[in-house]
Amino acid sequence: MIDLIHVTKRFGVATAVDDISLSVAQGELCVLVGTSGCGKSTTLRMINRLIEHSEGEIHIDGQQIRRFRQETLRRRMGYAIQSTGLFPHWTVARNIGLVPRLLKWPAARIQARVEELMALLGLSMEEFAHKYPHQLSGGQAQRVGVARALAADPDILLMDEPFGALDPITRESLQDELRELQARLHKTIVFVTHDMDEALRLADHLVVMHQGRIVQQGWPLELLREPADGFVESLFGGEDRGLKEAALLPVSQRMQPLGHDLPARERIGQQASLREALSVMLWRHAERLTVVDDDGQPVGELSLRRLVGARRDD
Amino acid sequence: MRQDTAGPNVVLLTLSLVALAAWLGLDTVSVAANRIVPGTGYRVAEVIGISGALVTCVPWLALAGLAWRPTPRRLALGLALVVLMLSALPVWLSLSAVTLADSAQARLGIGAGIWVALFLLLLLMIELRTRLVLSRPIGWALLLPPVASAGLCLALWLEPLALWQEYRSRSGQFLGAVGEHLLLVGVAVGTSLVLGVVLALAMRRWPGVQKAGFGVLNFLQTIPSIALFGLLLAPLAWLSAHVDWLAALGVSGIGWAPALLALVGYSLLPMVRNTFVALEAVDPGVIDAARGMGMSRGQVFRQVRLPLALPVILEGIRITTVQAIGLTAVAALIGAGGLGTFIFQGLGQAAMDLVLLGALPILVLALLVDALLGALTDILRPGGAE
Repeated sequence: MIDLIHVTKRFGVATAVDDISLSVAQGELCVLVGTSGCGKSTTLRMINRLIEHSEGEIHIDGQQIRRFRQETLRRRMGYAIQSTGLFPHWTVARNIGLVPRLLKWPAARIQARVEELMALLGLSMEEFAHKYPHQLSGGQAQRVGVARALAADPDILLMDEPFGALDPITRESLQDELRELQARLHKTIVFVTHDMDEALRLADHLVVMHQGRIVQQGWPLELLREPADGFVESLFGGEDRGLKEAALLPVSQRMQPLGHDLPARERIGQQASLREALSVMLWRHAERLTVVDDDGQPVGELSLRRLVGARRDD
Repeated sequence: MRQDTAGPNVVLLTLSLVALAAWLGLDTVSVAANRIVPGTGYRVAEVIGISGALVTCVPWLALAGLAWRPTPRRLALGLALVVLMLSALPVWLSLSAVTLADSAQARLGIGAGIWVALFLLLLLMIELRTRLVLSRPIGWALLLPPVASAGLCLALWLEPLALWQEYRSRSGQFLGAVGEHLLLVGVAVGTSLVLGVVLALAMRRWPGVQKAGFGVLNFLQTIPSIALFGLLLAPLAWLSAHVDWLAALGVSGIGWAPALLALVGYSLLPMVRNTFVALEAVDPGVIDAARGMGMSRGQVFRQVRLPLALPVILEGIRITTVQAIGLTAVAALIGAGGLGTFIFQGLGQAAMDLVLLGALPILVLALLVDALLGALTDILRPGGAE
């Protein structure tokens, strides 16, 4: 659990972060989003004291972060950044084992942990353990970066635009992986990005920052449906908001039970988003889809009318 | 790339034809009746006749022929030919010695033709090595046959070779001079390395030191070496006259002390600059991650910044050492000893072979140091051991 209480950061006369208060609950994925220079990275880096805050208090599990030695504090938190920051002169295995080694774990335990993490992130031991970072693709390097951040099993994970430099396809698959990981590991994650789609995909708790202040925070759909001001609305892309919302809602929310009509030919999984369902309809020129469960059994149907159904119908 | 497969290799072709022209057109050897008189030059044809000279054209033309349609196989063949020709140069000298040196006093000089051929053959070797993507050790191994051939020829037939005679009349002195030379270079580079690293670290911590430091070092670098020796003469002489223990140590206005001071002065700039730049140039993302993971300042420096900077620092040591090897030759002027002694003696006596006896080992030392430190840099490059 992370609490920021009236935190301000000044660099000389410039105020980078202006009196923000933010509480990230245990096991929550909190995304800080905003344009560049809005203070989101500064906020993140104040949590592990790479930047010292000027005013206010920051607490981890109820204790002020200034009570800890910087190194001790940082070793308790995973840290992943856009450039990966992998050490180019160390192998993948050694990179991942960095924090456990700093914490003086016995060698056998480090080895076991490295193997566990590489398996967790889908990196085969034989293929990657002895490679150097320059021999990896961007996606692989970022996986190693995430594995390294998770190495000492920290409760808190700080991620500063970790997927920002990747191509869209790799980025999406890593976003999915992060969500799956989070479903299993329940870390408290603070994630910084300027990409609103990424923020909406990942966030349990969305924080929009602008000019060093928090302009709005809450549940993503809440922000999407009721933006606090024009700035937040423009971040959500104005007219594009409908699709962004559809991307967040599962088909199962709008489908109706199987009727007496013949089942439609085109199918969609019940976990798919409404956006995907709409795309299938557009592509197949179909007004009705059969909704199937994970085993492919029909469980309902979704019509275009139901799909676009006004929100109040929920 | 197209050039590799389709057209002729222009570099090889040009080099071998130019070398052939030099080989035929320039004097390959000269013979003098004694040490001081200038020698008479002899071209290839004048040593073994026109038909013999035509025979010696065959390998050069073969090389040009192989370059016309280069395939990896032909290039490898060309490389073998180049190694063979390098090994044949001492044999050619031996042949000339046996044919031309008729009296015991006669001295055989190495002519421009051989120097040019040697130089161009080495260039050909580098070009072929690069084209064939051979590793460094193999490149060095290729030099073994020519060196062995030279050794054998020196032992058996090359008694009249002037360079060899100069060496034999000073063999003890020669080894001493090499020792002095290396000692001066070693101490100067060692001292400047320690000072350089300390200075570079101070510059990173205090930006003020950086400005002033580079200013002074840049200024030092612009003073000509002879002038610097002269400038040091008076203060050092005064010091040795007034401070007993310095005098006991052998410090005086001339000799090793001013030479060492000047060498350290010149070595500092490349050393500091490389060390400083190397430490500064480490990817900030890597440093940020290292700190964010909870490494202490010392750990970041020892485990991340220093190892990543090491190849560039070594590069600085390499440049500094090669430069110091050359500068130490000048230091002989103020009685610091070393191989420069032969150069200045030879210049004084108008004995060019004595000059060569000083200059050639300096060249070889510089090349050796360059290659050794270059190889070390490659090994230490991050992830480069693969």
